[in-house]
Amino acid sequence: MRGIGRKFPEERLEGIGVCQGVAIGNAFLVDDPRGRVVRFFLPKQQLDAEINRFREALHLAQQQVREAIERLRAALGSDHAYILEAHLLMLQDPHLQGQIEKFILENQANAEWAVRDVTGHLLEVYAQIEDDYLRERGSDVVDVSHRLIKILSGTETRGLNELAEEAIIVADDLMPSVTADLDPRKVLGFVTNAGGWASHTSIIARSVNIPAVVGVRGVTSRVRSGETIIIDGTTGTVILNPSPETLIFYTEQRSRQQQQEQHDIEERELPAITFDNQEVKLRANIELIEEIEVFQRFNAEGVGLYRSEFLYAQAESGLPTEEEQFEAYKFLAEMSGEAGAVVRTFDLGGDKLHLEGFKPERNPALGLRAIRLSLQVEYVFRTQVRAILRAAVHGNLKILLPFVSNLDEVRAAKQIIADVERELRAEKVAHAEDVEIGVMIEVPAAVLMAEVLAREADFFSLGTNDLIQSMLAVDRGNENVNSLFDPLHPAVLRAIKQVADAGRKLEIPVNVCGEMASNPAQVILLLGLGLRDLSMTPTAIPTIRRLVRSIDMANAEKLALHVLTLTTPNEVHRYVQTHLSELGSQFLTTAHFG
Amino acid sequence: MQQRTVIITNRLGLHARATAKLVKLANTFASDILLARAEARHKTVEAKSIFGVLLLAATKGTEIEIICEGTDEAAALEAICQLIESKFGEE
Repeated sequence: MRGIGRKFPEERLEGIGVCQGVAIGNAFLVDDPRGRVVRFFLPKQQLDAEINRFREALHLAQQQVREAIERLRAALGSDHAYILEAHLLMLQDPHLQGQIEKFILENQANAEWAVRDVTGHLLEVYAQIEDDYLRERGSDVVDVSHRLIKILSGTETRGLNELAEEAIIVADDLMPSVTADLDPRKVLGFVTNAGGWASHTSIIARSVNIPAVVGVRGVTSRVRSGETIIIDGTTGTVILNPSPETLIFYTEQRSRQQQQEQHDIEERELPAITFDNQEVKLRANIELIEEIEVFQRFNAEGVGLYRSEFLYAQAESGLPTEEEQFEAYKFLAEMSGEAGAVVRTFDLGGDKLHLEGFKPERNPALGLRAIRLSLQVEYVFRTQVRAILRAAVHGNLKILLPFVSNLDEVRAAKQIIADVERELRAEKVAHAEDVEIGVMIEVPAAVLMAEVLAREADFFSLGTNDLIQSMLAVDRGNENVNSLFDPLHPAVLRAIKQVADAGRKLEIPVNVCGEMASNPAQVILLLGLGLRDLSMTPTAIPTIRRLVRSIDMANAEKLALHVLTLTTPNEVHRYVQTHLSELGSQFLTTAHFG
Repeated sequence: MQQRTVIITNRLGLHARATAKLVKLANTFASDILLARAEARHKTVEAKSIFGVLLLAATKGTEIEIICEGTDEAAALEAICQLIESKFGEE
């Protein structure tokens, strides 16, 4: 609480609610090491020692970077270390050293403060560079200053792994590497300055079902650790200094929410079968291995999509080793039961793989990522495949190839996988053979070529989020056009139909793993279009289970058949809205249109 | 003192990799080496300082003036011009 006896008025901040639910608790501010530096005023006789302390830190920082460059060169060749070379040049720059030492002497300041001040000024100048690409280099200055400050203060960044009690996390933006450390049991909610619906914080919050509000500008400067705050992830509201009335209101709301959750758990054993006895598979999308617990709570039929990216974000240094990956996949295989788990190979760009030498791309969404990168840095892909094949001995694992845009990519990946099998056989290492290999359909080219791809794939997985974006050429993170992102656009529905038909014709299973699979109105259309296998964020399973149990498949098919004749997104919305009520489902209120 | 004006022609301009090469090269000479954008000649930066060179924010097409002064000024000027004209060996 701020100052004893002082009463601050309640304050409400608005952001984007990205995961529903109410959280009430103490704030925990995740800070940036630069923000934690304290200024000391040093006596004159200590300044020489302070300068020496700074020079030692500088020396050590240079040493660290030099070693990192050597490691990288050994692994990838000399061309890949240039970012680190730039960091080294910065640490060796006589002007930087000179300015920092001058600051220490003139201001009788501690070295940490001097580093912060001098690099802070540099950053201000960088921020004014007009070229996006060159301006990005400011992040190198931040990296270099963090390294120096860490060495000087002897502390690591205070991360989420230090969380001792339940708290609401308040941060500028949560990086995947930071969220990877979190213990979902201790996190009551998330609030960030930055971010949108599709940011990493949002995806994580939804997967572990923790209320979250992002895009709350300036929240980190208005909240202090330990203060009680309320967040409402449904409306996107954050309340500071809540009044007693507000606290009571939200406490009641939270207990209603808890009752609903209890109800969901009671229903979890009921089969997902329509009135006319059609079975629908409800599977879980998983991002963190730790989420397995959450998915079991909802009785999912295995893991329809395990996003392996977090293993790369969590890796201590560089890339996750084969053993680290093997342990994770083995756990996944053992926990996901007979239905098993689909492991999507890494859908990352070169920057996220920590591969130095990958130039930042102007348009990474259409860049060197996912399967394209896998085929280019084959040794990284091979390590992942080895770990999956070895872990598949312990359960039912499948491999899913992301972002496929042509048949050659599938063939090349299959060849590598076959080669890894031979290698494991020759080494007499226990591994599974004939592991199913699926293709992710999320690029329009893959939709048009679905029948061709289906001959080489053991199954399809429809990634509707990316597919809708690329189909409609809309960046949903761009607020000028995100209203055009529409899962009910006739083109999207036709694309889905085409993929479902190709799967049926060539007798391979088609799973849907995008957000459409968790939206009740859209699920009816998916079912109507012939899909029977849905994979979603685990927390959506209870609602979708209830939905499936409350409809007739024949009606869903009739609805979809008619919708396919409609020509505009508006017509589809109107038709679906007026006809859903005829299906008699209690869930199909207009509130479910996303 | 020797000076010359060159145009940055590589696609990404003086980005990190190119800058690192330039700064490393400059540091192999004894001469003082200054750079400035041709339209702002008074705002010089030192070629031996990576911060200085990055702050030039030179994109493709930027005209850069190079000024060398010292015992090996001719060699320094020649080497730096050559690096820039060879597009930093990138393309």
